Amino acid sequence: MRKTWLVPVTIVCIFSGFFLAMQLKVMANNNTLVNPLSQKNTNLVMIIKDLEKEIKDQEDQIEKVRNTIDDMQKQDVTGNLQELQEQLKESKIAAGLTTVAGKGIIITVDDNIEGFKVNSQSDPNKSLIHYEHLLNIVSELKIGSAEAISINGLRLITSSEIRCVGNTILINTTRIAPPFEIRAIGSPKLLAEISLNGELEILKASNYPVSLKEQEEVIIPAYKGSLQFSYAKIDKGE
Amino acid sequence: MWFLPVFGLIIGAIIGSTITFQVPPIYVKYMSIAVLASLDSVFGGIKSILEDHFDGTILLTGFFTNALLAALLAYLGDRLGVDLYYAAVFAFGVRLFHNLASIRHNILLMYRTKKANGMR
Repeated sequence: MRKTWLVPVTIVCIFSGFFLAMQLKVMANNNTLVNPLSQKNTNLVMIIKDLEKEIKDQEDQIEKVRNTIDDMQKQDVTGNLQELQEQLKESKIAAGLTTVAGKGIIITVDDNIEGFKVNSQSDPNKSLIHYEHLLNIVSELKIGSAEAISINGLRLITSSEIRCVGNTILINTTRIAPPFEIRAIGSPKLLAEISLNGELEILKASNYPVSLKEQEEVIIPAYKGSLQFSYAKIDKGE
Repeated sequence: MWFLPVFGLIIGAIIGSTITFQVPPIYVKYMSIAVLASLDSVFGGIKSILEDHFDGTILLTGFFTNALLAALLAYLGDRLGVDLYYAAVFAFGVRLFHNLASIRHNILLMYRTKKANGMR
């Protein structure tokens, strides 16, 4: 056999090696994401996850700084300072910057998964807990003079939002998912009474899995975000 | 001498994996056709060597025209909304198997005749 075949075959082999490597590289990088649209989506999801992690880190940092401030304030308490610190403490409780505990109730609500399984032809929206439900429950608790409220461990303060974003709910700019646990501190009797005659009753009637517990001690965590006032100033008359 | 093509394959793979350029996801389709076309040419070449009617020019021109035509066909299919891309994949796939089968036949044949000669 003459060796005329050597050079052409080698050339073709180089090409196929090159193409194979390129293709393998692409497939290894994104074997499920050949669709450019889904690739864009994963990019967005990654961005969101990164940002959420960043928020969490910064919240931790805020908490750390607040703790050091607390420690510093605990040192030498004399005379007038003590009184001022008492005031500060009360203001902090009012602002929701401290973990608080006391009598209260714990409400849990969840999507009506069973109901949807039984009747899967129905509109799934009718089996979900929407942000309006949470908003109504929270409003009722406030009418029942709840002193502190949290949803899934997120403290509600004056600037807290309960907002629908696509298929999740945002509270304190954090996404939360069912089941939702709403804790409230206040008179357990009053809170239970007002809840059971309001939104909770409606949810129960629609077969949502809901529960309400009166408890001797409910612990509600502190607000973790920042409190910045860039526009609001104290009025001169005050 | 047979190791030179294998060496070429490895060199190509190294070049391909070291280059930082990445094929955009939209062109992955065309890339896969190129891969198939080149593999087809390699096996076609080996087959023709074994069958003793190898022609370097035919191999090289065949490689490039096949790859180009397949890419063109796939592109045209994309424009027209007809998945001609699958036709190219199918054609190359069938040829690949066919070539592999021929190579196996020839090698077996060579082995048997050698054995028969050795026995005698």
